[in-house]
Amino acid sequence: MAMGLESGWDASDFVPHGVCLLWRTDILALHVAADVLTGLSYFSIPLALLYFVHRRRDIELGWVALLFALFIVACGSTHFFSVWTLWNADYVTEGVVKAFTALVSLLTAATLWVLMPRLLALPSPRQLAEANAALHREIEIRKQAEQRYAGFFNNLDEALFIVSIQPDGQFVFDAINPALARATGLDPEQLRGRPVTEALGHELAGSVMAHYAECRDGGVPVDYEEVLDLPAGRRDFHTVLVPVRDADGRVVQILGSGRDITDRKRFQEDAVQTTKMATLGTLAAGMAHEMSQPLNVIRLWTENMLTRLRDGAVDSDRIERAMTLVINQTERMGKLIDHVRMFGRRDDGGYCGFAPGETVRNALDLVRHQYELENIALFEDVAPVSGEVRGRPLQLEQVVLNLLSNARDAIQARRAAGGDAGRIDVVVQGDATLDFAVIQVTDDGGGIDSAILPRIFDPFFTTKDVGSGTGLGLSIGYGIIDSMNGRIEAVNVELDGGRRGVCFTITLPVQPLSLQDRELSHA
Amino acid sequence: MPEPFHILVAEDEALAALALEDFLSIKGFRVTLAGDGIEALERFAEDPADLLITDLRMPRMDGHALIRAMRERCANLPVLVMTGFLTHDSDLTHERWKPLEILSKPVNPQTIVSTLKRMLESPQGQSREA
Repeated sequence: MAMGLESGWDASDFVPHGVCLLWRTDILALHVAADVLTGLSYFSIPLALLYFVHRRRDIELGWVALLFALFIVACGSTHFFSVWTLWNADYVTEGVVKAFTALVSLLTAATLWVLMPRLLALPSPRQLAEANAALHREIEIRKQAEQRYAGFFNNLDEALFIVSIQPDGQFVFDAINPALARATGLDPEQLRGRPVTEALGHELAGSVMAHYAECRDGGVPVDYEEVLDLPAGRRDFHTVLVPVRDADGRVVQILGSGRDITDRKRFQEDAVQTTKMATLGTLAAGMAHEMSQPLNVIRLWTENMLTRLRDGAVDSDRIERAMTLVINQTERMGKLIDHVRMFGRRDDGGYCGFAPGETVRNALDLVRHQYELENIALFEDVAPVSGEVRGRPLQLEQVVLNLLSNARDAIQARRAAGGDAGRIDVVVQGDATLDFAVIQVTDDGGGIDSAILPRIFDPFFTTKDVGSGTGLGLSIGYGIIDSMNGRIEAVNVELDGGRRGVCFTITLPVQPLSLQDRELSHA
Repeated sequence: MPEPFHILVAEDEALAALALEDFLSIKGFRVTLAGDGIEALERFAEDPADLLITDLRMPRMDGHALIRAMRERCANLPVLVMTGFLTHDSDLTHERWKPLEILSKPVNPQTIVSTLKRMLESPQGQSREA
């Protein structure tokens, strides 16, 4: 077998290739130099390729480079064999090497064509650079946008917060802005990512989550005012919640914004109290008069009785009449005192349903005598209203008193200017079909200049001399009526006898009495 | 027996006026009642009085206007003002309104009588020959 192989590879019958070149030294040198240089170069290329594949392991198709390396090594080997066969006639071995080279070349060429589409798809460095630059630009734009929104979120004076809704319905704080932290005294770090119940404590969480739940369940924006006991103290907020839905339409997030209206609320309350005190001040003179009258009557009648008793002229009918009279007078005083007491008190009481007619009568009772003294005739037409209005009765009384006081001022101003005036009409009507109660106060004080009529409900707007009016009365009245979901309007009216004046109309929604209330009122 | 002094009472509170009339009658005065200043002037024109008792706050014509009008008719008529509330801008305490006294409501009827007697008996307050 060894012999067989040896005979197969036996090259003794061939002559070396140098024979063909007649052993000319110059041609031999040229062939040797060219083949050795080419071979060396071929051998160096795979080294470079291997080095590249080794360093850039991320590159896809690295195995193709290895195939190339093998192909080039094979080609290089054929060149070295060409040098060898110049002196040694090992043509069979050379043929095997060439055949191997052919195989690898064929494989490489075929692979190259098979891979062509994928190779073409490989991005060029220039394309990559462009894509990269585009990405950088995109990032920059996004960063700027984010900064803008972050600027809004962080610098807006509105208290902003984001609450996410967990699949189990639990509310979790995503973020709160610095304005909210300032207004509430809550720590943003303590809130972020924590369930609302944990972050705020039981009581506070309970009151805010009721609104969150309303927004979540209703799926529409919710707008409300709330009073919260916060680390920063008791604050009033006007809050708006907006639901954010996911692709399936489920509410997954709530965007909230709150405005701290504590100061505004306080100012409103103070202003209401101030006008109340001012009105009380103007009433004080009248009140002293009102109180002295019944006291005087009591004193005179009791003295009369005492004198008669001492004289022995006892007449039981006369005594009974005098005593009844005294009791009536004390009742009259008691009512006055009750009124003053209620009027001066800060009206923190809650809303309730009440009959508007009664409130208007109370207001009229307060001023009736004083106006009589000033020759101002009060005509009242107070019809019973079926149902009740909702609000604070004393506040409505204050609004009516303010209208009466303005009417009197207008009448006195008209008289001072030489005009004839002195009548105030007060009407209360209920419209059962439209569920409205209407209160009208009409004077004959000459009317209001139509240029300023639209402004009379503005705060601090006054037509009176400095010191005689705050200009807050009507604006506060407007606020009070508005809080009762009602309207107040003023129009100039022509009255009979060529007189002119202003008619103020308050319209309030009426709720029918509940069955229970009706039974109570019958009982 | 001398004719009783005639007192004109201007008072809009009818119950007070009636009690005053009753009381003063017992004490021997003749009393005429008026509900306001204008009525008081009319009564005075019909039947001049020796003394005017008046409230200040009254409809139509108040006490101040009544006293001014009265002074034009009878400069020396004694006036007794009974008021529940004397406003600080009132100048009735001034000398030129004399003879004039002010009593605050509620008034003690005994004080009224003693004041009436003093005013009617003082030489300055003599509005008629005794």
